[in-house]
Order: sequence, then C-alpha cells, then structure tokens
Amino acid sequence: MKPLSTHLNRLKATLTELAGRRRGPAPLRGRVESFGAIVQLVTPRALVFVDRDYARSMNMQPAKDHPMWAEPSDDGDVTRRPLSAPMEAHLQLTNRCDVGCKGCYTAATPRGEADEWGAERWKRAIDELADMGVFHLALGGGESATLPWLGEVAEHARRRGLIPNLTTSGQTSVDRVVALAPLFGQINVSVDGLGDAYAAVRGYDGFNRADAAIARLRAVKREVGINVVVTRHNFDQLDDIFAYARRRRLSEVELLRFKPSGRGRHSFDQMTCTDAQHREFLPVVKRALRRHRVRARVDCSYTPMLAHHRPSKDLLESLMVYGCTGGDFLIGAKATGAVTACSFAAPPTGGPSVDKLNAYWHKPEAFGVFRRWREAAEPCRSCEYHSLCRGGCRVVSQHVCGDAADPDPECPRVVDWRERTRVHLPVVM
Amino acid sequence: MRRRRRRRRGRILAIKPGLNPNSSSLGVDITFLLIGASALALMTPVVASVLRLRRSPAAGDVVTNEAPVDPPEPTQSDAD
Repeated sequence: MKPLSTHLNRLKATLTELAGRRRGPAPLRGRVESFGAIVQLVTPRALVFVDRDYARSMNMQPAKDHPMWAEPSDDGDVTRRPLSAPMEAHLQLTNRCDVGCKGCYTAATPRGEADEWGAERWKRAIDELADMGVFHLALGGGESATLPWLGEVAEHARRRGLIPNLTTSGQTSVDRVVALAPLFGQINVSVDGLGDAYAAVRGYDGFNRADAAIARLRAVKREVGINVVVTRHNFDQLDDIFAYARRRRLSEVELLRFKPSGRGRHSFDQMTCTDAQHREFLPVVKRALRRHRVRARVDCSYTPMLAHHRPSKDLLESLMVYGCTGGDFLIGAKATGAVTACSFAAPPTGGPSVDKLNAYWHKPEAFGVFRRWREAAEPCRSCEYHSLCRGGCRVVSQHVCGDAADPDPECPRVVDWRERTRVHLPVVM
Repeated sequence: MRRRRRRRRGRILAIKPGLNPNSSSLGVDITFLLIGASALALMTPVVASVLRLRRSPAAGDVVTNEAPVDPPEPTQSDAD
C-alpha cells in the first residue's frame, strides 16, 4: 500500500497542472540570435531554432539599428558565432555529498567547499541568466537534494521563466525531492548499473535505494529518468538498463561518457570504455531502443562515437546533435559560483562568477580553447563531421594528451589515424 | 512569386527536443537517429503548427530577452 504522502504529492501535482491549464498557456519565450531566433516550446518540450524570416513572422527581431542582424551571411547559420547566451546552465548548487562515489566528477565530500554560495547568491545568478535569455537550468551537485533551499531556488527560476531540472543520486532527501517534483521539468536519478554493477561503478551498494527513490518519484511525476555513466564495467548491461527503465515506466535514459574529472581522474584508465566498446556504442543503444522503446539521450562527448557510424549530417544538425559546446550552448557554475565552460572543466583564467556572466560572455577571449574549436589539428581538421563534433571532449583531451585543444583521443577516427601515422622503427636484427 | 512568399515565411532550422536534467553535459536526444529523417519530417510540421497557433495575436508576442546584446565576434577562421 502506498504511503499517504505519495497520494498527497500526486494530488498536489495534478492540481498544479490543472491550475496551469485554467490560466491558459504561458506566453512563448524566445530570444533573437544572429541566425534568427530560438523559441522555447513547453508542449511539446523543445527548443526551436528558426531563421530571420521566421523570427520576423513571430515579431522577434533586434531593436532598430541594433547590429545583431547586420551580417546577412549569418542568417540561418546556427553555429557561425557563439550564441548570444547559453541555452542551459548547469549549476552545481553544492559540492557536499555523503556517498563518495569513486568516480565523482566534482570530487564531492561531506564537507563540500568552504565558500559555497547560498540561496540568495544563486537567485541573483538566476536573475542574470534570465536576463540573458537562458532557457533551462540543470541543478546538480554534490547532492543538491539535501539543500533546504533547493525549492526556493527552483521556484525563483520558474518565476523568472527558466525551467529547472534536477539530477539526484536518490540516496538521501528523497522526501524533499518528491515534494518539490512538480517544480522541475525533468528529474533524473543516477543509476550507473543494476545490482552489483552499480557498486562496481560507484564504489558502494546503493542500487536498492536509488530504485526505491525512482519508484517514489515516478508515482508523482511522469518526467523521471535515469542518468547512466557508461563504463567498461556496465557496458554489457546497457540492454538490461533500458529494460529496467521500461519496467519502471521512465521517460528517458541519459547515457554519459566517463570523464577524467574530480575523483574520476584517478580511475579514468580503469573505468573508461574500451575502443571496441566506443565503436559498438551506437549499435548497442539502437538495439536497446528498438527493443525497449525508451527515449535515449547521450551527452555531448559521445558525438565522435555517433559520427563514427556516419549518420546524416543534416539529421544531426536538425536535432542539434553537437559535440563540445561548452562556453557556447551551455555553461557550468561551481558551488562557489565560478563559471566554467562545462561542469567538467576548470574555471577559465579571468573567468567571472555566474552572476556576472553577461559581461564575460561577449569578450573575444572568453572560454579560451572551448570557443577555438575551429583551429583543429588533424584528423579533426579534415573530418566532415568536425563542424558538429567540434573535436570531441576537451576534458578527455586535456587529461590524456595534456592539451585541451588536441583531438579527442578516444574518437575512433583519431585512434585509427594515430595508428596509421605512427612511426614504425625498423627492427635491427 | 510563390518562391518569394515561401522565403518570407522562413525556415525552422533545428529542433532540440526535451529537457536536459543532467548537470554535467548537454544531453541530446538520439531516439530520432533510430527512426531517421522521416520522423523529423513529421515532427517539424507539428512544431510549426504549434508555433503558428501560439504566435497568433490572441496569444501575444513571444517574450524575449529585454535587451539583445551584440553577437559575440566570429572566430578568426569565420572572418576569413
């Protein structure tokens, strides 16, 4: 029998939804860009990129004499310049977390950082992001579910027109997340494997608790999914993970590549997938999708592994499947407020706190190598997918090659190219 | 003339479906890679219809960021 709180939360969610319907649809939110405009749809949930004529037809255009549309060749070209603001901001509200995953990309600890921001600073940051026209927030940690002011920050984001989304481990503070569930657009629980595989990847046996949290959240909210960090230990379990998501009636499975960041730096060599697994990634996911019919998302660092199978470039562009778009489509912010190009990257030299992002965003040197992706070396330079992939994951390149500008060393094309161009010394008998 | 009218209506360039809850990377929906371009071809008119409905005078204008700012400078290779 379900606890009373579950029924109450479901009732609250239904009432919130009905209240929204009675008021009628909220006005569309959008912003003008050099190529045209971006418009946010709530139903169906999507960001729509349109050219200048389409934007004009929606009464969206820059103020008269504003230079945004001065360059005719920018019209319709989404990636010719960095966006005027990120589409989404990833806010690490805290770096406190008790569970101590061995691969934690933020190296979270029970004590967190000494100078972490509180609710008021984060709300100011959200004001800045809202003024810039950011659409989505991804709230994470550490474990941000433990923060007593999580709801206050999420409500503020809603008031300012941003959609807050949440990732949680599901190991703690589940009551709070269930109570706040209607505030979030999407909630994902981290599940890096089923049963023993969970412990192998995370370093502790937390699957049953995560599973219980998922069941409770799913009872009050439809938009609940799981995040899965794919490693060589759980790769063979991907089909079972999709089957699990189907059984739990989850809305999506988001697959993440293991990054050498935080504590993950020390375990990267033991955890990252093998080259063979990277090459098999897309076919395996496609088979699981066909069999279990659960929506699949992958993180930006998987684009080289998708491109390896030569999908239609037009299709990838039409679906906004891009590689590293840190410091452009997205930004991160540390628990101390420091802006980063993405959550795995260190704050850039001279970078601001996120409540002062706007002034920094427009500087020519902003986000350094993340925005200089066009200056690529071979084999990226001659790759037909480079304008989409942008050289793969900068964080992996920094860790493995010592230079963030290097081509992603785990990209199958890069692996093959390095094998072909390796100097073979003559064997002296 | 027909071509000119079509051009004036403009184009949907791309659609990024869903919301990304993951605070560590830009999640992209690859479900459509499985179904292929035909699914996208079906989705685009649906999205266009929703936009058309929602941009009617009754629905009001799109709420935009109040003060559009200068677009960031193109990178060196753009300028070439």
